[in-house]
Amino acid sequence: MSEYGRLFAAVFEKQTILLKRYWFNTLMLLVAMYIMFAMVFFGGQRIAGDGFESTLDVTVVGFFLFIAASAAYFDVARSVMEEAQWGTLEQLYMSRFGLGSVLAARTVFNILFSSGVSLVLLGLMLLTTGRSLSVDVITVFPLLVVTLLSVIGLGYVIAGLSLLYKRIENVQQLLQFVFIGLIALPSVLDGIVLGVVPLSFGSGMITSAMTEGVRLWQFPAAELIVLLANSGVYLVIGYAAFDRLVERTRDHGTLGHY
Amino acid sequence: METESAVTHSDNGQTQTASETVIQTRGLTKSFATESGEIVAVDDVSFAIDEGTVVGVLGPNGAGKTTTIKMLLGLVRPTSGTASIHGVDVDSASSEIYDYVSGMLEGARNVYWRLTVRENLRFFSRIGNEPANPDRIERLIAQVGLEEKADEPINDLSRGMKQKASIACTLVRNTPTVFLDEPTLGLDVESSIELRESLKDLVRRDERTVLVSSHDMEVIQDLCDRVIIMADGEIIADDTVESLLQSFSTRTLRLTLDAAPPPELRTVLDSRFEVRHGTDTRNRHQLEVVGIDEDGFYEVFDLIEPAQPTLVEVDTLTPDLEDVFLRVVDEGEVSVDE
Repeated sequence: MSEYGRLFAAVFEKQTILLKRYWFNTLMLLVAMYIMFAMVFFGGQRIAGDGFESTLDVTVVGFFLFIAASAAYFDVARSVMEEAQWGTLEQLYMSRFGLGSVLAARTVFNILFSSGVSLVLLGLMLLTTGRSLSVDVITVFPLLVVTLLSVIGLGYVIAGLSLLYKRIENVQQLLQFVFIGLIALPSVLDGIVLGVVPLSFGSGMITSAMTEGVRLWQFPAAELIVLLANSGVYLVIGYAAFDRLVERTRDHGTLGHY
Repeated sequence: METESAVTHSDNGQTQTASETVIQTRGLTKSFATESGEIVAVDDVSFAIDEGTVVGVLGPNGAGKTTTIKMLLGLVRPTSGTASIHGVDVDSASSEIYDYVSGMLEGARNVYWRLTVRENLRFFSRIGNEPANPDRIERLIAQVGLEEKADEPINDLSRGMKQKASIACTLVRNTPTVFLDEPTLGLDVESSIELRESLKDLVRRDERTVLVSSHDMEVIQDLCDRVIIMADGEIIADDTVESLLQSFSTRTLRLTLDAAPPPELRTVLDSRFEVRHGTDTRNRHQLEVVGIDEDGFYEVFDLIEPAQPTLVEVDTLTPDLEDVFLRVVDEGEVSVDE
């Protein structure tokens, strides 16, 4: 096994053990997400009536994306502070792979896990609403993963800021609400803005794939390039900012503080 | 990889090559900006540690021990000065140094409390510099005496066991150099003694280079070949444990008299030496003559002999490391072994 294969195996094994050992917590997370959706669905039906029905497919896709994005973002943003609280952050920093690589391995695990959770919830949402969507895994999964990379970039920035400034939970929470706006943006706006802000461009493509049945290879190449560039830039900038903020934290001597 | 070695001459005149220097600091300094101004936590600290030696760092709270260790581990960036481990510059921000060094910081806060002992060892072994070695993991579990608790979450263990697990997780990385920051922090006497025994075994078995900081003098005295004493961010003593004890061993002479010395004798003694007066449990007068050398020893006897009180008991007080530490810190005595 290669060195990085060993790192991924170590992180995947640890995360899987924790998910299994605390299965009730994992299950409650799913239930809470579903209850949240049910409240949106039944509340929306009651308030908006037939008008809500016409936007239901987009709502389901949006909620699916929101769950996946929140899970990916919070994992990166929170994990650093959790590790600092447990006293393990400095141990991860002292890994021969470096802190960034260990966190990246955890992020990969989490993207897979949160994508899985989102798909399970999507199934439950479709059962609840009685709707059907095109869930072509070959299209939706890659689009989802690439879209989430931009959110993970933001997660790295927040993680770095929380290392340097410590208690910044309020900013963390606030950004989650910004995601709702970014996911909904393609339904109210078009043009270059969608290619500049994170999450929105991918959200538009995933919505098209799921509500109109557009396959991955049917998207114009330019759109795929914009999505890759958008997510790549956010991820690279986010990671670079995290790296810089870790260095600043080393200057302050507060790497293990929380 | 750059390492240093020195040529020394042994007592019998033969030339021999000393061990390689594996830890080297030069003018290591760290200052922090605070609301009340700049605080210098570590001030111009330089030392070298040879391969296979066990060095203790002692000092009161705020002496700069942990900051020094964290700078050596690359966790805190120095304001100035350099540090290298096995020839690799620590501040190069390269994770290469973690092939050579691992560290346990602040007692038990180094492991995942929701994972078992064995799971922690497996995880930390694999993020270290070589694949998990099941034999080494089992051997470490046995060495720290956690065989029966190996499959229990760390959270369910006593504090002493948590710290043993934490030490094992540091050692499982199998680095040639290990830093232990306060390994017995917060333990009761019994757990501390038990952990000290485990540490002695672990440290000596693999002949690693170890830097250990502790408030527990017995840990340092038991484990270490050499002691660095820090106060206010500076090194105020750096010598072997043996030399430090030796240099203080004949300095305090306790004389028990059958009566209080006459005022004129007392005046002479007090003017010539640092003398503490007291009484023993049988209410006999006691003089403790501090910092006395061989000549002074005879001078005291010459002064007391013609006087009235009879000398009934003479003791040379042998200090332990705690006495040495307190004197060095209180009086700022320096005994730097160049």
